[in-house]
Amino acid sequence: MKMLVVYEKMGPHRFIGHLDLQRAMQRALRRAGLPVRYSQGFNPHLLLSFAAPLSVGVQGAREVMELPLAREMEEQAFLDRLNAALPEGLKALAARALEEETPPAMARLQAARYTLKPEEGLEALGQALPGFLAQASIPFEKRGKAGVRQADLRPLIHDLQLHGGALHALLALSEQGSARPDQLLASLCEYAGIPRPRCLITRTALLDKRLLPLEQP
Amino acid sequence: MNPEMNQRLEALLETVQRPARYTGGEVNAVKKDWAGRTTFCFAFPDTYEVAMSHLGMKVLYEAVNREDDLLCERAMMPWVDMMAGLKEQGIPLFSLESHRPLRDFDAVGFTLQYEMSYTNILAMLDLGGIPLEGRQRPPEAPFVIAGGPCAFNPEPLAPIIDAFLLGDGETATLEMLRVIGQGRAAGLSREDILVNLAGVPGVYVPSLYEASYHEDGSLAAFTPLMPQAPLPIRKRLELDLDAAAFPQRTPLPFSEAVHDRIVLEIMRGCTRGCRFCQAGMLYRPVRERSPEKLLELAKGLFEATGYEEMSLSSLSTGDYSQLLGLIGSLNACFMDQRVSLSLPSLRIDNQLQEALVDTARVKKSGLTLAPEAGSQRLRDVINKGVTEEDLLRSVTEAFEQGWSSVKLYFMIGLPTETDEDLLGIADLARKVVACYYALPKEKRARGLKVVVSASTFVPKPFTPFQWAAQDSLDDIRRKQALLREALKIRGVTFNWHDPQTSFLEACFARGDRRLAKVLLRAYALGCLLDGWSEHFNYQAWLQAFRDTGLDPALYANRVRGKGELLPWELADIGVTRAFLWREHERALAGQVTPDCRLGCEGCGLRRFDGVCLP
Repeated sequence: MKMLVVYEKMGPHRFIGHLDLQRAMQRALRRAGLPVRYSQGFNPHLLLSFAAPLSVGVQGAREVMELPLAREMEEQAFLDRLNAALPEGLKALAARALEEETPPAMARLQAARYTLKPEEGLEALGQALPGFLAQASIPFEKRGKAGVRQADLRPLIHDLQLHGGALHALLALSEQGSARPDQLLASLCEYAGIPRPRCLITRTALLDKRLLPLEQP
Repeated sequence: MNPEMNQRLEALLETVQRPARYTGGEVNAVKKDWAGRTTFCFAFPDTYEVAMSHLGMKVLYEAVNREDDLLCERAMMPWVDMMAGLKEQGIPLFSLESHRPLRDFDAVGFTLQYEMSYTNILAMLDLGGIPLEGRQRPPEAPFVIAGGPCAFNPEPLAPIIDAFLLGDGETATLEMLRVIGQGRAAGLSREDILVNLAGVPGVYVPSLYEASYHEDGSLAAFTPLMPQAPLPIRKRLELDLDAAAFPQRTPLPFSEAVHDRIVLEIMRGCTRGCRFCQAGMLYRPVRERSPEKLLELAKGLFEATGYEEMSLSSLSTGDYSQLLGLIGSLNACFMDQRVSLSLPSLRIDNQLQEALVDTARVKKSGLTLAPEAGSQRLRDVINKGVTEEDLLRSVTEAFEQGWSSVKLYFMIGLPTETDEDLLGIADLARKVVACYYALPKEKRARGLKVVVSASTFVPKPFTPFQWAAQDSLDDIRRKQALLREALKIRGVTFNWHDPQTSFLEACFARGDRRLAKVLLRAYALGCLLDGWSEHFNYQAWLQAFRDTGLDPALYANRVRGKGELLPWELADIGVTRAFLWREHERALAGQVTPDCRLGCEGCGLRRFDGVCLP
């Protein structure tokens, strides 16, 4: 069996990079004495995979990781033991025992929800929103390993609303294409004609193609 | 830190490199209530990644925090982007735990690991809101204290540090903090508390002494200004390492440290008597932790951290009397948890093969050997009791065990060194390569890599070479060029550094209290992070020497006479001046001195406390 774990990465922990987070989680699993599995070979490593890395500075309210277990375990017992080894702000929120054959969370991932709380300019952004979304395409420069290339943001925005003092976005997040929330903010600000404000971003959910959370396969 | 300042800090963290090193909140970090406690900030004068690799900080952090009446927090040198941001935002340098500015603590303690970190101390005091010089500090300012290996020549920092601890800090740090805390509670003046600190065994309070100089610049006299100021100051010793504090719950860095693993200090001190080695003299006598205690500590550390790697720390791990038994029990205990054991700086002349076989079961890292000098003659001068035969046998055995990468460490500029000695380094490298190719192809691992590193020799206080001159920069550069040519060998890489840093290190290692002026001037000229080559500004340092009218060559390149009073002789480290001079003369005569476990060589430790090996 394998265990899918939903965890948070809030507050100052948003500054931990992805590699550092991987290491921190591996060590927490080891401290907790959970029945983890290791790769074969001369330098064995703990088997643990993450649904999607989170950019440094962005909070995660319901992030997802998965690990194969060496023996069966109750979800609640797993959760309790892991949480005893995790610091505040980096707690596990749910554990879900899955069949080994369930496709990996990373492969099932299709979209993510974000909330963006700009420090200022909310009114201007609200006014610009309908026109912004009415555009047929929203070109932007995408920086990748192969250098800078032109890409279109519009088809990657599934939903975007403003309420309760924050932007709420549903963005594509999969191997076929992803939109970054900071890019969304940059493009929206450009369209609204305002400088990009400081903005706290939180990823609130990781969803599959049915737009259901990954922990409900 | 108030909420408004916290907002500005959050915004700043979004803009700097690797912000996780400034946020604290690591697993095992300790946050205690400040009310009614004496507060201590352990300040590491280098970046988070370096600081979190340092065992001494972890030892003292836990030793202090175990005490109910005391608390210890941490602060490190911010990187340049963060430093600029703190200044711009008016945020003082703060501790990781409670986010309080350094100026709020009762005591701020620096560890002196390396002379080139001294400007960082000034930067951290400055950013933390503490006046740079002791005499400028108001009554409520923290007491600035320091310890670590460089505290054995405290003089270049005399006007800056209020009190130094010479020697082991596990117990003495607690005593110092209580003198400060009780003094403040009783309403004593800053001056009275300093006098009380001087009464703690091993503590040196520089403001209670005066130095005068001859016309040639050498030290004429060093005098206590009051009867309460001891002279010499005897170093502190923890005699029973099984009883000494050792950390069990080390803070786990989020941002990876340089050495991010369980470190077990198995032994303190060394009996080998290498003549260039300051640690070998400072940390006598040899004291071992028992294998039972080490296993218990290792289990505790694993449970508290989940680390995947463990290393053994000492000056000479191969000399630990029960090494094989220890390795065996550690391997047996941690096999299931996949904790790999790495053995650094293993001496090449004993038990290597068995140890290699055992470590190979878990993890294969590179092999590092330190012959230090290229010829037998020069190895005899420095008393590095290793022969070419030992070295080549070790290397061959390592190649047979599947290693293909070897690092060889040397020093250049050693006393009496000739070009012939230097060319011996190339000769040795060539023989190591030959050992590899002498094995049949199917028996050796692929990808031979021999890395030869040559550092510039820095004569250090309390060694038999404390009277010696450092080679001039021109001499060192010529020798490096010679070696670069000679080491153009297939499979061999040569590493070397410009000697400018080593030159300044030599000045400060054997400096007197006048050098503090140079340090303060260099900081004013913008010098900091001097240990990081991209920030090292040699011209500014030369400017600082010129501006203060001091000649760096007087400190680095001058031979001291037998009768000269040396600035660091305010400390009694146990090893006597007579022993060091005898070793100095034997060095120049090329005579070796055996390991003192084979028979007492009379270094002075027995006189010191009767604490030495029987």
